[in-house]
Amino acid sequence: MVTELNESNFDSFVESNHIAIIDCWAPWCGPCRRMGPIIEEVANDLAGQAGVAKLNTDENQAIAIRFNINAIPTLLVFKDRVLVDKLVGLRPKDDIISYVSGL
Amino acid sequence: METDVLIIGSGPAGIQAAIHASRKKASVAVAGRTSASAASGTEMDNYFGTGPVSGDELLSRGVSQAESTGARFLGENVITAGRRGDAFEFTLEGGESVTSKAVVIATGISRRKLGIPGEKELFGKGVSYCAVCDCNFYRGRRAVIVGNDSEAAVSAEMMTGFASETSWVVWDLQASDVLFDKAVAAGVRILRSKPKAIVGESAVEALELEDGTVVPTDGVFIELGARSAADIAMDLDVMPEMDDTIKVDSGCATGVPGVFACGDVTGRPWQVAKAVGQGCVAGMNAAAYARGER
Repeated sequence: MVTELNESNFDSFVESNHIAIIDCWAPWCGPCRRMGPIIEEVANDLAGQAGVAKLNTDENQAIAIRFNINAIPTLLVFKDRVLVDKLVGLRPKDDIISYVSGL
Repeated sequence: METDVLIIGSGPAGIQAAIHASRKKASVAVAGRTSASAASGTEMDNYFGTGPVSGDELLSRGVSQAESTGARFLGENVITAGRRGDAFEFTLEGGESVTSKAVVIATGISRRKLGIPGEKELFGKGVSYCAVCDCNFYRGRRAVIVGNDSEAAVSAEMMTGFASETSWVVWDLQASDVLFDKAVAAGVRILRSKPKAIVGESAVEALELEDGTVVPTDGVFIELGARSAADIAMDLDVMPEMDDTIKVDSGCATGVPGVFACGDVTGRPWQVAKAVGQGCVAGMNAAAYARGER
């Protein structure tokens, strides 16, 4: 199950997960719609290893500005509460799993 | 306009689909520009029965042949696609609506990248390939749209609703007069030169053009060609593959009833022989679907 984040639960999600992967998306973005099912699978495969969540950038623009997001889909990657990477663009599940395994 | 079958793309796959759908007594319309086909401007010597032949000659003969069967070539790109009940609905560049009972996606593979310095390095840092996705991040900032065809024109007009300044870099205008005029009326600044390099350290700062102009900007939106097959497919509820190709079965069906695909857009090999083979199958099956035979 992928958690939907907003202004009220974003920080607590990052703080409560050793590794947090946050898929930044918007409804009108075609590549984001393709990323959706991939992120669902990533969440299942990484259950217990990483917290996986989604952030609608249209409804949460302050967070998008805070992390200087200029393009979507973007995966925000946090390790021990620190932003370690921003992965921009559509990418396959195996690439994401492999990336997280290397953290 | 209403038609039994709308074919999106007028390269070898689309033309062959038009011939076979028309011969099955379906009314057929074909969107797209033949000059945008990957076969245009090529020389072929591996196509059955022709010997060495130019792609443009083959395309021209194919269009005449398809027109003689009753197919109508619209000469315009599709800019929106969607479903309406069991039917499909499209908008063309000139604003005309087309409704069809079946659709064949034969767009080919679109080139998305410019291949200029700074493009790869600044992707996600101001360089974008999807203005619709990312326009919201450019509210009150400067944006440049790059491209010659309908998708660039549509993107430029849309961006004026977000950016403080919108420029459109165009060097070989292919978009329709209607779309060009809409962009100009919306306040888009037109710059007629080829892009040379995207400049910036940690984010986009400017776009350099071949005529020496330097355009200060926060974002460069690269929108080459017509609306992509992947976008059109998603509008019709077909999920594209990761490489933007569309998966089809042996009948060129996509899995969504009434939506067929053929040619390069279904994946390799990118050969005219394969494209027309699939075009034949897709055209016949789309016509049969539209006529309620399957």
